[in-house]
Amino acid sequence: MIDCDVHNSWHSAEVLLPYLPPAFREYLQRGELPGPRGSFPHAHRPWLHPEGFMRYDAVPESGAAAGSEYDLLREQLLDRYDVDYAILTGDEAIEASTLANPYYAQALTSAYNDWLVYEWLPADLRLKGSLVVAPQDPHGAAAEIRRLGDHDGIVQVLVSSGSQRPYGDPFFHPIWEAAAELDLPIAVHLGGQGGLNANPIGCGPTTFFWETHALLCETGMAHLASTIAHGVFERWPNARLILIECGVAWIPPILWRLDEDYRALRKETPWLRRLPSEYARDHVRMTTQPLEQPRSPEALWPALDDIGARDMLMFASDYPHWDFEDPRFLRLPETWREPVLDGNAREVYRLPARDRIAEASR
Amino acid sequence: MRGQRHLVCRASELPPGERRIVRLGGRSIGVFNVGGSFYALHNGCPHKGGALCEGPVCGTTVDASFGYGRDGEIVRCAWHGWEFDIATGVAVADPAVRARTYPVVVEDDHVMVVLPRARKEPDDE
Repeated sequence: MIDCDVHNSWHSAEVLLPYLPPAFREYLQRGELPGPRGSFPHAHRPWLHPEGFMRYDAVPESGAAAGSEYDLLREQLLDRYDVDYAILTGDEAIEASTLANPYYAQALTSAYNDWLVYEWLPADLRLKGSLVVAPQDPHGAAAEIRRLGDHDGIVQVLVSSGSQRPYGDPFFHPIWEAAAELDLPIAVHLGGQGGLNANPIGCGPTTFFWETHALLCETGMAHLASTIAHGVFERWPNARLILIECGVAWIPPILWRLDEDYRALRKETPWLRRLPSEYARDHVRMTTQPLEQPRSPEALWPALDDIGARDMLMFASDYPHWDFEDPRFLRLPETWREPVLDGNAREVYRLPARDRIAEASR
Repeated sequence: MRGQRHLVCRASELPPGERRIVRLGGRSIGVFNVGGSFYALHNGCPHKGGALCEGPVCGTTVDASFGYGRDGEIVRCAWHGWEFDIATGVAVADPAVRARTYPVVVEDDHVMVVLPRARKEPDDE
């Protein structure tokens, strides 16, 4: 089984200090922060979770932040669910996308990536990492991908779903180019809903956390449409877009709409040669959590089946966040279990087959 | 009362507002003292199996003016935060959802949870 969304956190953002260039170390040590000393300097979002983000039972006995201690993560996730690989997605680090100063954002994400590579990945061969980049500086992000993207433990590039504009836009093409060069997918994870980034809700800010959380898939829709329309998958045939925690059930109807409108107005995007849904099937993957819960559980699958989602969906738990998904409670059609829990992620992240792992450990 | 009684602790060891997570008959169970009355809930949430009894014991908003009430009567699942009435196991937001409850007996200062007997054994109480 492969878990595509596991958050490795920290007790304080100051763990990054040794990895930050001195000039930016001062920012983090003495500069203004959205919370107390040690908080990560992202621009504040207007929607605050009224109970905090974390599973209450995932807080270590030491009182440290949930997700910040490897031992508990191993016990509550890797060992409990017999996870072959867990794709670490950081926690606050993607919020660097909200900062107006691209140089500071770039320095913070590089510091995060070094901390990940030196302090998390060596802890357990089951942990794989996501290279977090600051998309507001596409050339800096590309340089970061080229700096660390060939590390064995790095399996994807990661950005927040909150952004200044949709990720297919030519503004971001240097990031796609570098990722393709290193043969890494680009993952877009829910987050970055403040500061520099566009309002994530189409007609303006909503009010309550639960109301907003349910609507945050809107940004995923825009990234999906834009990446296909701008021809990212024509230009870089090995490019892959992974939507993490952006929801799943909306994807079939949006692809149906894109197909229909493209058929009529193909002339706007003459670089495309296939239907949007065909690009999606080959190049787009999405993670399960939080999987929508219809009144009749089986209502979810016919539409997803229509777009070929059996080969696109990848299990994610979101550990240790409040909306954690227990794989044992995930109701999947029987023939979907293997690809969704394991095979699809193994393929997109180029992870070794199961028997090869067994061989290596012999 | 039918079933098998399992000793949890002395009543004096579980004062009002406190809760204890115990393993009885192979099940994880939360035993709560709410204002002097004892209740037991299955520590597996009917929503998605989360650690229901390990979240905050609290109150909740009870009217449209954000009035706060039922303090100490609600447990909030440790995973997804669903609120349950400790006494009845009923989910606050959707009464069609119920957490499993177990009867609690207090005798001679002993708090005991009553679990169903294994099927083949005759009920003797």
